[in-house]
Amino acid sequence: MSSSYERIFDIPIGPQHPALKEPAMLKLKVDGEHVVGVDLDVSYNHRGIEKAAEYRTYIQNLYLIERICGICNVAQTLTYCLAVESLHGKEIPPRARFLRVVAEEISRINSHLLWLGVAAHEIGFDTFFMHVWLDREITLGLMEALSGNRITSSYNVIGGVRRDVTEELLSRIRKGLDELEPRVKRYREIVLNDRSILKRTQGIGILSPGDAMATSAVGPTLRASGIKSDVRADDPYCSHDQIPFNVITADGCDAHARILVRLDEILESIQMCRHCVSRLPAGPILQRLPRRAPQGEVMSRVEAPRGELFHYISSDGSDKPYRCKVSTPTLANLPALVRMLTSKGKYVVNIADVPVILASIDPCFSCAARVEHSGGV
Amino acid sequence: MEPVILPVLQTLVFPGFLFLIAVSFLYEWLDRKIYAWMQLRAGPALAGPVGIMQPIADFVKLMGKEDITPAYADRRIFGAVPVLMVALILTFWAVVPVTGAAGLVSFRGDVVFAVVAMTFFCMLIFLGGFSSSDRFSLLGAERAVLQLLGFEIPLMLSITGVCIHTGGLSVSEIVSWQAENGWSILGPQAMGFFIFLVAAQAELERIPFDIPEAEQEIVAGWLTEYSGRKLALIRLAKDMELVFISGLAVALFLGGPIGPSHAGLEWLLYPAYFLLKLALVVAVLALVRGLFARVRIDQMVSFGMRYLVPLSLAQVAATILWRLI
Repeated sequence: MSSSYERIFDIPIGPQHPALKEPAMLKLKVDGEHVVGVDLDVSYNHRGIEKAAEYRTYIQNLYLIERICGICNVAQTLTYCLAVESLHGKEIPPRARFLRVVAEEISRINSHLLWLGVAAHEIGFDTFFMHVWLDREITLGLMEALSGNRITSSYNVIGGVRRDVTEELLSRIRKGLDELEPRVKRYREIVLNDRSILKRTQGIGILSPGDAMATSAVGPTLRASGIKSDVRADDPYCSHDQIPFNVITADGCDAHARILVRLDEILESIQMCRHCVSRLPAGPILQRLPRRAPQGEVMSRVEAPRGELFHYISSDGSDKPYRCKVSTPTLANLPALVRMLTSKGKYVVNIADVPVILASIDPCFSCAARVEHSGGV
Repeated sequence: MEPVILPVLQTLVFPGFLFLIAVSFLYEWLDRKIYAWMQLRAGPALAGPVGIMQPIADFVKLMGKEDITPAYADRRIFGAVPVLMVALILTFWAVVPVTGAAGLVSFRGDVVFAVVAMTFFCMLIFLGGFSSSDRFSLLGAERAVLQLLGFEIPLMLSITGVCIHTGGLSVSEIVSWQAENGWSILGPQAMGFFIFLVAAQAELERIPFDIPEAEQEIVAGWLTEYSGRKLALIRLAKDMELVFISGLAVALFLGGPIGPSHAGLEWLLYPAYFLLKLALVVAVLALVRGLFARVRIDQMVSFGMRYLVPLSLAQVAATILWRLI
């Protein structure tokens, strides 16, 4: 590191790079194998969704908002629906609330398993990746049975959910969860014991609790730094006060802790789904609401798989929102990411660690590209 | 047959160039199939019966692709590296015994000659990456050389163990010693075989040691700028290197092609034994590939220096003791 002549050069990770599943730009300044600086630009995929939402009715927007993120589509529509419902000032039926939790938790399991596979792929463990993704098919099957679609579910609608469940479907969900649980426990065991995984993830991407608070990290990234914060517990939005669950935290503050938090959250989600399925209240699944929303401003937040998802809607009393603003968890985690990627004192970041650290916040850059900006964060 | 034609045929067809190329494609298929089996995938399945022609199809496809040389690359070195790689392995293949105790060429000290091939291969990788004038290639080349530091000494020491054990410095001596006294893997060389396989995995740049071409970190490492025909040749060379190193492992540890045989049938049985043992080694290497995550370059070098070098030194010492007793 302390050579008399400078040999620092730039390594661009992105906009197109095998480690990235979406366009983003990480300009790394490297000295040999060590990263000494990082410059981040995520505005490669600005899609103008917020502007487009102003030209569509509330119902049409449901399908637009859903497409902000493929993986968190349930969380996106849920946040949007919650916002519109609170504009109307109406509560939705309890059965719909429970079904929303089932859909949300299945999509959380789906998202975390997808992420686990990607994380394994980033450390070059493709066998683990393939096995995890095969088990992810179970959750995709459940989602299909519940909503009719594997990924883009369109399950939440304004005022409730789109489809009711039958007793047969409930038992199928139970069976799927029973099948999944031992697999996830096995993966947890592997992650805890496999030496090559430990070597690549422990002590990598350290984010101290203080830094996590200072950079306003959200979701599993924050909880892996030992801070107990979960919108579901802090601000229950879907009968979460009637469903017993624990907020999972870990003290590792590193990439390995983030894997463990997500794996434990999958197990917790399985329990939540089981609880909802066995105690599903009877009644209607939809509360019809008028097409025009009353004038007003609302904001809603939901614990998406990646962290706190935030929607703001301003209504002028017409059938279209006056302004719709979305803030995704990835955007909130970017400052923390930059801090994790910068070597500081004894904490050294190798080039080989960059994909691991990047994956550890479970980034979704296309969702994060809400504003055009040039230069770094 | 005239005395000139036979050696020429041996060099060009069997067990020389054509045989090596055919076997390389076959074992690339085997490797991919085992890897796919571990990952619950089907693997190559469409080209030919059970996809056995897939490596050839890939090769032909790459040969027909556009071949780009970067503007800032050192054109001569950049273009020469793939050809040199193929030529290198084809040349050194001559010392690997396929049909009997000796390979096509056998002389005292050809074991050392074979080890030099691996170092040369690594130097070619460095040249290829360096001449690309690309930052990813440069990093990959740097990593390839660093990796060489980690595995070269244990590799040589593990072979030294065999040489001391069998008292021979040529492949044919080692193979014929094993034909009389049993495979050298049975004994203190079992550890040597393990070290050899680990080092071979690093030499071949396969998981967990595919650091110089780590896809998620540095795109394709030293291979990044190669395309078309050059890439096809490099891939062929890497397949041939897999067969070459596995063949060496067979000769040094698993008794070479020699096995139980009927008089007059050696010409058929020995190559068959060789191919079977080769398949075994390739299968072990493929299994290892499916079981680990990629390590970091600093972890790899410190693993080599901290564990492999002392282990192989201990193994050599044990072999010397074994010989004295």
